[in-house]
Amino acid sequence: MILQALQALFTPVSLLAVFIGTTSGVIVGGMPGLTATMAVALLIPITFSLEPLTGLLLMGGVYCGAMYGGSIPAILLRTPGTPAAVATAIEGYPMTQQGRGGLALKVSVIASFTGGIFSTFILLLIAPVLAVFALTFGPPEYFLLAILGLAGIVSMADDENSLVKALISGLIGLVLAVVGTDPISGMLRYTMGLTDLFDGVAFMPALIGMFSIAQMLELTGSKSVVADRSQVTKIKREPLPRGISKPIWLGSLIGTVIGILPGEGATIAAFVSYNVARRRSKNPKTFGKGNPEGIAAAEAGNNGCVGGSLVPTLTLGIPGNSVAAALLGGLLIHGLIPGPELFTTYGVMTYAFILSLFVANVIFLILGLFMAPYFARISLTPPSLLIPVVCLFSLLGSYAMNNSILDIFVALLFGIAAIILQKAGFSLGALILGLILGPIAETGFAQALIIGHGSYSIFFSRPQALVLWAIILMLLAAPLYQIYRASPN
Amino acid sequence: MITKRLTELIILSGFLVLAVLLYRSTASYSPMVQGSTAMYVRFLGVTLGLLCALEMLLWFRKRGQAEVEKLMIAKDPRRFWGLFFLLLLYAVAVSTLGFYPTSALFLPLGMLLLGARKPLIIGLTSAGVLLFIYLVFAKLLEVPLPEGTLF
Repeated sequence: MILQALQALFTPVSLLAVFIGTTSGVIVGGMPGLTATMAVALLIPITFSLEPLTGLLLMGGVYCGAMYGGSIPAILLRTPGTPAAVATAIEGYPMTQQGRGGLALKVSVIASFTGGIFSTFILLLIAPVLAVFALTFGPPEYFLLAILGLAGIVSMADDENSLVKALISGLIGLVLAVVGTDPISGMLRYTMGLTDLFDGVAFMPALIGMFSIAQMLELTGSKSVVADRSQVTKIKREPLPRGISKPIWLGSLIGTVIGILPGEGATIAAFVSYNVARRRSKNPKTFGKGNPEGIAAAEAGNNGCVGGSLVPTLTLGIPGNSVAAALLGGLLIHGLIPGPELFTTYGVMTYAFILSLFVANVIFLILGLFMAPYFARISLTPPSLLIPVVCLFSLLGSYAMNNSILDIFVALLFGIAAIILQKAGFSLGALILGLILGPIAETGFAQALIIGHGSYSIFFSRPQALVLWAIILMLLAAPLYQIYRASPN
Repeated sequence: MITKRLTELIILSGFLVLAVLLYRSTASYSPMVQGSTAMYVRFLGVTLGLLCALEMLLWFRKRGQAEVEKLMIAKDPRRFWGLFFLLLLYAVAVSTLGFYPTSALFLPLGMLLLGARKPLIIGLTSAGVLLFIYLVFAKLLEVPLPEGTLF
């Protein structure tokens, strides 16, 4: 069956579909506000007139390409193309400012490629077994998974942000995530009567505001994005940094596992991978100041999510994240019902689709390596031209997610607030983490308490929960001990 | 003079008030969620309040030792606030004028504000960006753009 799938894949039409899909994905992912979910959803009606396999290959290519593409503006302009690229921006943009944007792009594409290939292998080899394991996760485990992500806040405390301020920032993120509809009762909370807030504070405009708008406002006082312009032309010669393989493999593994869990997205995978890499790094103090290990872990994490999220999608019909949900819509339109039949009756098509993800990863690797030096030159554009253009794309991206003018104001509000909070020593990374994980934490916590009839023992009663507690404690112990040691009193 | 330390105190006080309001607001939650989501929100309120109080305590303890550092939000305040108000103006005007006219005004004005002086480059960049948005966003991807009430 695999041989037949390879035959179906290696035809000119199929390869062209993967190429077009991947290239479009890189472009879409590179534009703020245009996400992989949106691109796949837009493709569904187009694929209807195509052969089912060609349509699937197009969608798979877009998914892979967009995950990588989001890192390009994140690194060069601190404007994450997709929410999953936020963690990349934290390390990538300082590297661009140091004139090492090309190297950051190179690290990003290699990490993305490794994460993508690793997770596709997992999808190919052990998809059904892993899908069943993922289904054993209930609300207590999802709550603990959110706590696992939030534990990263502790490691965000550094010279600029004290531990208490980092925790306050994370809590503010969690508080902002409470705005909207109560997940249990459906009651509206803190929406001030604005219908645009019924679904909560839109995540993408907040991100665009905090990272892109804030950065563009900061840049108004600079003559150039890059401190040393001569460095930008030297990027072709700079070798990959040492010790980069460890965070890449770590991110690939974490991304794949998180991707398999239904509802968990690439953004969370990228942040968890980033935080774990930061803790395990020999130079944790250089994180946030342009450490390539952070880019490697985050990009391997979000691309690892691609194959992981397809595990429950293809085997159980439960999408791993929103892009996988859009892809599931594409499968169903072509009459492909997820489940065992997909791997038997329609095995040739399914395996050709899975194998096409390998090809898509190779395509964006070549594209990324070849284009990195040219992409990096964007940072040489004079700020007087660059800033208004990036601001326009940022505002457009904020609007495009929900067609909401309010979201443009949200982006501006978050932009100016981010600058003031950062100057006062609060951690934007922790705030983002709270905003991302808030809904998962609240829903998991509330549902678990309802299931447990109000008893907190439900968070300790199952082996999966105990394993997660152990991991959380392990992750917290080292940074807390370091902070205690570093404290003068 | 607004110092960095004073800004910290103002922000922390604001968060403390927010924590109290958040805690009190859970009383109006439906009885069915008092043991679940209301509990979660109360926990956030209490933790936020305690941490803010702790940070304020540390602030007062360090009051004499810390150096006085002026809060500098922008290196070039004219350009910084000029751009911010231009962005605000854009957000207000876009729902009346529509995307293309507002953007056609915003881009050259923004470039002029930030120091660009060559009319040809300003014109070509603005036109090129708008053409790109029209072709890729509007035509190819059919992304809805803000529509104005006037045009």
